[in-house]
Amino acid sequence: MADALKERFFAAYRAMVTARFLEEKIAGLYHAGKVVGGVYSGKGQEAFSAALGVCLRPGEDVFAPLIRDQAGRVAFGEDPVDFTRTYLGSVEGPMRGRDGNIHRGRPDKGMPAMISHLGAMIGVVNGTLFAKRLKGTLGDSVGATAIGDGGTSTGAFHEALNLASVEKLPLVISVANNQFAYSTPNDRQFACEHIADRAVSYGIPAHKVDGTDLLACLDTYDKAVSAARAGGGPQLIAGTLLRLCGHGEHDDASYVPADAPHRIDCIEVAEDTFVKNAWATEAEITEVRAACAETVRVALATALNDPKPNPANETWQTTASGF
Amino acid sequence: MFIYGQDIANFGGAFKATKGLAERFPGRVVDSPISEDAMMGLAIGAAIEGMRPIIEMQFADFSSVAFNQIVNNAATHFWRTGVALPIVVRMPSGGTMGSGPFHSQSMEAIYAHYPGLVVATPATVEDAYGLLLQSIELDDPVLFCEHKLLYFHLKSKGLPDPKSVLPIGKAKVIRNGQHATVVAYSAMVHEAIRAAEELEADGWKVEVVDLRTIKPLDMDTVLGSVARTGRVLCVGEAFPYGGVTAEVVSRIVADGFHLLDAPPQRLNARDTPIPYHPNLWKAHRPTSQTIAAALRELIAF
Amino acid sequence: MPQLGESIAEATVLAINIEPGTTITTDQEIMEVETQKATMGVTAPCPGTVLEITAEVDASYPVGAVLGQLEVSEAEAAEAGVLPEKLPEAKADTPHFGVPADDDDGSATLADPIHPTEVEPTVGGLPVPASATGASYISPRFRARMEELGINASDLASVAGSGAGGRVTVEDFERFMADLESQKMTFASPMRIAVAHSMRRSWARPLATVGTGIALDSVLTHRKTCDPKPGPALYLIRALAIALAEDTSPAGRLIGERVVHPPAIDIGFAVEVDDGVLVPTLKDADKIPLAELLPRYDALVDQARQRRLPREASRPGVATVTNFGTFGIDWATPIPLPEQNLVLGMGMGRKAPSWDAESGTFVPITEAQMTLSFDHRLLDGGAAGRLLGRINALLQDPASL
Repeated sequence: MADALKERFFAAYRAMVTARFLEEKIAGLYHAGKVVGGVYSGKGQEAFSAALGVCLRPGEDVFAPLIRDQAGRVAFGEDPVDFTRTYLGSVEGPMRGRDGNIHRGRPDKGMPAMISHLGAMIGVVNGTLFAKRLKGTLGDSVGATAIGDGGTSTGAFHEALNLASVEKLPLVISVANNQFAYSTPNDRQFACEHIADRAVSYGIPAHKVDGTDLLACLDTYDKAVSAARAGGGPQLIAGTLLRLCGHGEHDDASYVPADAPHRIDCIEVAEDTFVKNAWATEAEITEVRAACAETVRVALATALNDPKPNPANETWQTTASGF
Repeated sequence: MFIYGQDIANFGGAFKATKGLAERFPGRVVDSPISEDAMMGLAIGAAIEGMRPIIEMQFADFSSVAFNQIVNNAATHFWRTGVALPIVVRMPSGGTMGSGPFHSQSMEAIYAHYPGLVVATPATVEDAYGLLLQSIELDDPVLFCEHKLLYFHLKSKGLPDPKSVLPIGKAKVIRNGQHATVVAYSAMVHEAIRAAEELEADGWKVEVVDLRTIKPLDMDTVLGSVARTGRVLCVGEAFPYGGVTAEVVSRIVADGFHLLDAPPQRLNARDTPIPYHPNLWKAHRPTSQTIAAALRELIAF
Repeated sequence: MPQLGESIAEATVLAINIEPGTTITTDQEIMEVETQKATMGVTAPCPGTVLEITAEVDASYPVGAVLGQLEVSEAEAAEAGVLPEKLPEAKADTPHFGVPADDDDGSATLADPIHPTEVEPTVGGLPVPASATGASYISPRFRARMEELGINASDLASVAGSGAGGRVTVEDFERFMADLESQKMTFASPMRIAVAHSMRRSWARPLATVGTGIALDSVLTHRKTCDPKPGPALYLIRALAIALAEDTSPAGRLIGERVVHPPAIDIGFAVEVDDGVLVPTLKDADKIPLAELLPRYDALVDQARQRRLPREASRPGVATVTNFGTFGIDWATPIPLPEQNLVLGMGMGRKAPSWDAESGTFVPITEAQMTLSFDHRLLDGGAAGRLLGRINALLQDPASL
């Protein structure tokens, strides 16, 4: 059991570091003018995202990541080159230059591609689960997606949570409470005591966790995902955290007070956990970080050398039937 | 395949379109909560999983609640990800008496505006049947605009052989003429036919083209008809600003200017919400009389 | 049969709870009917006595159909708002959308959803353009058909229009073209077509012509002293060129609100060729003396007759000189080329009496009529007269040319 937890912890840590490096590299390219669109990082949210990713089973479960889920994507098995290719608009990437940055996915491989409208992907995950159940292929698989504190105010969020509960779907919804949605603080976003209270009226169990503590996150997700697998219906996990960067690379987050709570680097917390439990030595951690850095280097080099989209080669076809 | 919508299972739907289906197909005709956005999201997810979901909006008007999922998620999906979404959204459309502003709308032009969607607007029971089967077979999201007249007012002696129904994207000349063409779709086709019959008494032969699907739009058939008549009136039940009639007229002018003998005309509903009282409602939408009057002006040019 | 729900067209009677003679109260359920949506009761709109029941159990009736008759007092009917409406209701003349025509009970409003009383089209009016009589308005389709057949609007001047406001329609045109087939037709030469095209373009302007008689004796005398001898037209070219060099404005072109002045005084002259006219151009006619112009002039005449004009000489000048006197014509109103504002013409020289004030007698002179046709938008009679006067003065001193 301890070995399994340790293994899962390691996997999550690798995903966190890989995500951190990927986002740092792409932010560097953004500031060098090499990225056509924006860069939206999840720095400080990696533990909460990766912990979900490692609790899922690629190939069986569905995971519709949101903006800050780079760590969860890596943990779920997304090839880091999908990240670099999409940010750089490569034709070899899953979005082929037609969409960019975090708006990517491989829907046919269990990872729907998010749209910018918050809450919309929850309904989509519901649909995948509903269909699997109708087809008889659901088994004990689950569908997970993520939202932030701001996204919980959308009608889509409430409609989809209610529907998931009515249909008793094994939906796992991860709510990262960053305390600020872009610049808007929690008290302008909801008036219930805790963001997890939003689940109550839908009859959905809510799990609260410190979103910067990987070990706690793994434990909470494990319970929530297991409950969903066991037929317990939708599960909501609310993680409290504070992102260590702005909304995007263009944003210095000056609206966040210096003394805001949870200004904690979850990667450092995870490394402390390694040491405290004697799961890894400094040298081993350094080795893991080096391996992650190499993965990122290769992913970036690959995408940088890919062909860019050529309008002459674009089909401009928007329907499968060719209309 | 399954159908998801409000009151569609045991109740059979607000218009009884799914009557008896829940018994014939247990578990596949499912009542939804009143959550159009979540319903459409569910359809997208199910389509990703390889199913062919049908969503029933209780009224076309309420599809506006699902607008985001339809135009931003479903419509962009194949383009963005390469994964096709075979979804049919059935929308009871158009005006009926006493239905007022929120149970009468014609939403087709709004959806046709977005790339990635197919919009069907059948005028007859035969087409409603044939085009629905084709829409279900299609790999793309189809907004299927069923005019409410189809439910109880229009009759058919029997259902056609689906193979004999013209494919999606083909308009149909349903009445031949030589002096003017009326391009119409959905319920307005029947109004146009009545207007054409009225004008025939005065010796004017009016051709009527039923668009059948407004996206794809079959301009070949429309321009072919305009080439025969030189005069065209485009009729739609929707609001007058922009829309299908404006699209058709602009394409006629761009591609068939040399065919025109008079400025092409449009006739739509008035630019107000759809009124409740029948006296107002009947004066709000195009009717056979207003179409006939517009045709007379057009032919006199 | 009342309207029992959204878009319900008909309902089936399941049970009838009353019989003739029954006294009923408002809202009493008098029948049970089934629509495609639900089973529900039909209630009485006001109290009264049942007179007759025409409906039958298990039969279906369209919305608006009469199910029976109720005897009620006028006051109660008015109270319930079921008195026949005073609104002018439309009568359905034919069944519509499968809905049977209305009965005589005033229920047409409900039974017939598509019948407005007054027709007020929302389409904008389509007035035929005010000037659209004859072939002056040509629709895009008409224009395309004309282009296909190589027909010009001016060819259709004789066609009587049958369209609105006497407009010539495509059908009129097709009839006209078909009629031509029975007549003898030959093909016009390319030269004829070129002249026609040029004249049609010219005719788009308001053209006017003025003229005056001039004495040719000085020119004729001077001519005899030359070898080779220049023709009178060349004297005219030179005089016109000098006059225009002094004041270029009569040779300008009016474009919008501005007059475009000629960059150089190049003068064309009409040369009759087979089935048409060519107008070669003498460059800088104001700067080159007559004697030097003569060989160029002669060369251009030869080249024109052989249809071998060099490109440079084919470019239109600022004005044209035409000596129609060589055809025995005294007076004409030539049309300036489309690119030009002026055409100067000269008729045949004839012996004429001229009053000599000094001797107090008529003396014989050789006189010809000199005409100037011009675009009246740019030039008036006065300016045209002054230009003619200046040319006349120059011609009286041919040595200066």
